[in-house]
Amino acid sequence: MSFSNKSGFENRVVIGLAEFTATKRLDVVLATYSLGSCLGVAIYDPVARVGGLLHAMLPDSNLDPVKAARQPGMFLDTGLEGLLAAAVKLGASPMRLQVYIAGGAQIMDNSGFFSIGKRNYSACQELLPKLGLTVKAEHVGGLVNRTMYLQMFSGEVFLKVSGQSKESSL
Amino acid sequence: MKELDDYINKVQHLPPAPKVLPELMSLLGKEDVDSSRVVDLITYDPSLTASVIQLCNSAYFGAATPATDLQEAITRLGFQQIFRMVAAVTASRLMKPKTKGYGIHEGELWKHSVTAAVAAQLMARELGDDENEVFTAALLHDIGKIILAQGLENIYTALIEEIEKNQQALIEAEKKLLGVQHAEIGGRLLARWKFPSNMVAAIWFHHQPSMAAPHERLASYIYLGNMVAYFIGHGFGHQAFALRGRSEALEVLELTGDHLPHFMIQTYENYEAVEALFHLGK
Repeated sequence: MSFSNKSGFENRVVIGLAEFTATKRLDVVLATYSLGSCLGVAIYDPVARVGGLLHAMLPDSNLDPVKAARQPGMFLDTGLEGLLAAAVKLGASPMRLQVYIAGGAQIMDNSGFFSIGKRNYSACQELLPKLGLTVKAEHVGGLVNRTMYLQMFSGEVFLKVSGQSKESSL
Repeated sequence: MKELDDYINKVQHLPPAPKVLPELMSLLGKEDVDSSRVVDLITYDPSLTASVIQLCNSAYFGAATPATDLQEAITRLGFQQIFRMVAAVTASRLMKPKTKGYGIHEGELWKHSVTAAVAAQLMARELGDDENEVFTAALLHDIGKIILAQGLENIYTALIEEIEKNQQALIEAEKKLLGVQHAEIGGRLLARWKFPSNMVAAIWFHHQPSMAAPHERLASYIYLGNMVAYFIGHGFGHQAFALRGRSEALEVLELTGDHLPHFMIQTYENYEAVEALFHLGK
C-alpha cells in the first residue's frame, strides 16, 4: 500500500522554502515540496514522539547574516540549530533523534560555480556530528527534484521523486 | 533552419501567434514613442486589454481606486509596468495551458517561467540592464517545450533513459531523439512571430549563452534566471537538473558563483511577485 493511501492527505502540514517546524501532533504528516538543490532534513524522536522538518535553501548563514537572523530556516547551520532547539523544547532528546536527509540536486557542472546542491549536502554532513546527530537514511544529489514527508504517528519518512508516480519509504 | 521549420509545421496544435507583444517591443525600442500609439496597439486585442487592467487592479499591483481603462492604468503604473503586464498576460496564454510530455504537471511550466523571469529581472535591475527585455525573454524561454511536448508524449521514457544512461543534458537528449531541441525550436518560433532578434538569439541559445553573441548578455540572464528557478525547486519533470554548468554566463555579466546564493535569496524575497504572476488570469 502506498503512503498516500495509508495516511490520507487531510492533515498535512506544509513546510515552505526556508522554513522549519517541530511538532508533537501525531495526526499530521509534515511535508515539504520540490526541494531542488535545497536540502530537506527530517528528525524524529521515537520515544518522545516529537518530529520536525526543515527546508533549507543555502549552506551557510555567513552568506547573509541579516537574513539568517530574520529567517534562520534559509540556511543549514541556523536552520538545523533552530529545528533541533524547537524539537528539544517539545521533549525530544538529541541522542534519540533519527535524522533523514533528502534533496541537494546538482546540475551537470565541472566548473563548480553551480554547486549549490553539493555544498548544501557537505554543509549538512559537517554540521550534524557537531550537533550530536547521525543520519539514519538519505536520498541526495543526482538530477532529481524531491518532495519529503514525515508521518508523525509512525516516524516514517517518505520520498516522492518528481516525474515518478509513487512515494517510497526513505 | 529548414528542419526547425519542418518540425514546427508538423505540430498539430501550434499556439496562436501573439500579435501585440512583438510589435510593442519594437515600438518601445524606438525613441519618442507616442503613448497613444501604445494604447492603440494594446487595445487592438480587447481580451489582452481586459486582462492587463484586471492585473493592474489586482491585490499585488492595485491602487486605492481601480483603473477603468488602459490610459488610466498607464498613467497610474507607468509604461514599464504596463509593458511587463502585457508580456506576462501574453506569456501566460502560451505557457499556462496543460502540457503533455516532459512530466509537467498543470501549472508547473508557468510557475517555472515566472520564477525564472522574476529572478532574471532582479539580476538585470541590479546590473543596470533593460529589465523589460530580460523579464520578457525569461518568461518565454521554454516556449519550445510547448512544441516539443507533443512529440515527446510517447518517448518521454526514452528521453529520461538517454539522460540517465548516457549522462546527456536535456537538449542533447532531445536532439538525439527528435532531431531538434527545445531552445532552438523556441527561438525559431519567436523569429516567425517577429520578436526582436536579440530575444530570438537569447532564447535560441539559453543553454549555451556565449553562442548568442552579440546578445550573450540577454542569453546569460535567461540562463541564470532558469538556474535559480531550478535550484529553488521551481522546475518540473524527472531528471530536471540535466543542465550543463556554463560559467561563461557568470563571466559575461561579471559575476561569480558567489552571486548565485544572493540572487536565490532575492528571488525568494520577491515571492509575492512570483505568486501574483502565477495566479494571473484566475
